[in-house]
Amino acid sequence: MTGIETFLVEFLKLTFLSMVPFVLAGQGTMLGGRTGVFNVAQEGIMLTGASVGFLVGYTSGSVFVGAIAAMLVGGLFGLILAYFTTTLKMDQFVVGLALFFVGTGLSTLLPKLVLGITLTPPLIPTLKNIPVPLLSKIPVLGPILFNQNVLVYISVLLSILLWYLLFKTNLGLRLRSVGENPKAADSLGISVNRYRYLTTIIGGMLIGLAGAYLPMVYTGTFTELMTKGRGWIVIALTFFGGWSPLIILLGSIFFAGIEVLSYRMQVGGSVVPFQFLNMLPYIGTIIIMIFTFGKSRVPAFLGQNYDRERRTL
Amino acid sequence: MTQIKKSLPYIIAVVGAFIAAGIFIAAIQYNPFEAYKTLITTSFRTPNGFIQTLMKWVPLTLTALAFTVPLSSGKYNIGAEGQFLAGAIGATTVGILLADLPPALLIPLVIIAGIITGALWGLISAWLLYQFNINEILSTVLLNFISFQLVDYVATGPWRDPSAGAPTTIAIGQNGYLPMLIKNPPLSIGVILMILVAIGIYFYTNKTTSGYELVATGANPRAAKVHGIDTRKMFLLSMVIGAAAAGLAGAMEVSGVQHRLIEGIHSNFATLGLIIGLISRGKNQAVPFVAFFIAVLEVGASAMQRTMMIPSQVVLIVEALIVIFILLSDLIKRRQK
Repeated sequence: MTGIETFLVEFLKLTFLSMVPFVLAGQGTMLGGRTGVFNVAQEGIMLTGASVGFLVGYTSGSVFVGAIAAMLVGGLFGLILAYFTTTLKMDQFVVGLALFFVGTGLSTLLPKLVLGITLTPPLIPTLKNIPVPLLSKIPVLGPILFNQNVLVYISVLLSILLWYLLFKTNLGLRLRSVGENPKAADSLGISVNRYRYLTTIIGGMLIGLAGAYLPMVYTGTFTELMTKGRGWIVIALTFFGGWSPLIILLGSIFFAGIEVLSYRMQVGGSVVPFQFLNMLPYIGTIIIMIFTFGKSRVPAFLGQNYDRERRTL
Repeated sequence: MTQIKKSLPYIIAVVGAFIAAGIFIAAIQYNPFEAYKTLITTSFRTPNGFIQTLMKWVPLTLTALAFTVPLSSGKYNIGAEGQFLAGAIGATTVGILLADLPPALLIPLVIIAGIITGALWGLISAWLLYQFNINEILSTVLLNFISFQLVDYVATGPWRDPSAGAPTTIAIGQNGYLPMLIKNPPLSIGVILMILVAIGIYFYTNKTTSGYELVATGANPRAAKVHGIDTRKMFLLSMVIGAAAAGLAGAMEVSGVQHRLIEGIHSNFATLGLIIGLISRGKNQAVPFVAFFIAVLEVGASAMQRTMMIPSQVVLIVEALIVIFILLSDLIKRRQK
């Protein structure tokens, strides 16, 4: 292979590796949004997921247990969000922001409590690549797509599954109706609250797992504020993806691509100061928002609570 | 009497938050009474503690106003961090480039530069909202991350002070330092400026037509529009005013405290500003008082970490609980109606 080919293979391989937190947190956000619960606590939930995933992974000696713990904590955040917004009818942004603070604070507090104040944080083993038999032997595509860690495969399968569930099943139709017109859904006997709870909790679990991916794959340890805004970028991603699972998957590849590019260009040496390369994901996100916001189809009741006793919507 | 009755739910919320956090502190094997004693009294035991509290009070009030003024029109500015840093960069740039000007010129220029760059940084988000209807929460947060890189670029560039450990610029011209109220421990006139700004914002939102339109927009955008208020312009205006306050905070941190741009100069001011804004329930006039209370807690928290080895993040839990309990107390009041 020529130099440029090796570079491209490496670039795409890293892009698929880096898309996972975007896919998981994006689908999690999309799920809640589809029933009308707009989560804005991603950054905090991901940080707590990263912190808990690392700590439990370290103390239990199993990365798998750590990932499960991160999902449970993420689910708990989802439950709290659902309770405060769906049952208590509090403003979704305010509750989301409060949870973002709680998550951010908790993520730095927990390691201090569990490990004490240390200069050399312990490491957990990072996830190994699992080559898919036969497929990984395909030239070029094999190493890019089929020699990755298990969560890369899971995130793709999850996206396809969610698409099928949302658009090809009765359950999905009911779920979407809750976000589009809760009053109509309610009159048809669909429990608006049950769907909102369910999707927000599962969404929280996915966002928690997205956070745990960072120490599990990138660093092997938790560092303060390690999500670096990915949680916020994810919100832009779901708008970009039109709240649709497959487009969110494509969008994740794109956002991950920008992230890898900004990193690769620094390693490769560039005339542009590295700080400006570091800005690329955020500037890219803003530019993408300019072109997609307002054009993308948003669930009609996104961010709005439903009170069946109110006469008007 | 009604005043007491009205504030009772908030007092219960604050006390409740302290009790809940106290249980947490006890659960992690520390003495909550000792911890709270340090937390509350550090600011008032020594002159140094009190001055430190005032020094934190300035940026906390301003970054909180950066959140609550846009909130008055119904918009969420989460970008005080970036606007603060933009203001700090602007102030530093002027302070270094024009270092030879006399104080009577340089001080106002440094401060105004900070206000303008902060306002411009906020204007980006405001314009994205105005022109493309882009959610302001997202754009302001993303601009925060961009501003971190910008600070790093400026602090490691040609103005870098090689003798400093962390990325830091050289000092601005001495003529650009804010005059001191007290020499030792140092307290600049920034605290007076901040109080004037807080009063000005209160006056603007509560006593002027434009301010009334702004608040009306936040209370009910549809009704405001029907009555001929250009709501989108109000969004833009409120975002820019808020951003200017954050920019001023950044400029005063440079001109009155650090005298240079340091990476991490924004500390946790903006996050606390949001918390203060939420505890004030978006009321601009409540912000300075809540900010003072939080400044006391923050000064106490670092003392608590020093003397008792309790992680200072514990205080963040207290603050988050206060926010949640106050939101809950609102809810209870709503139910009672």
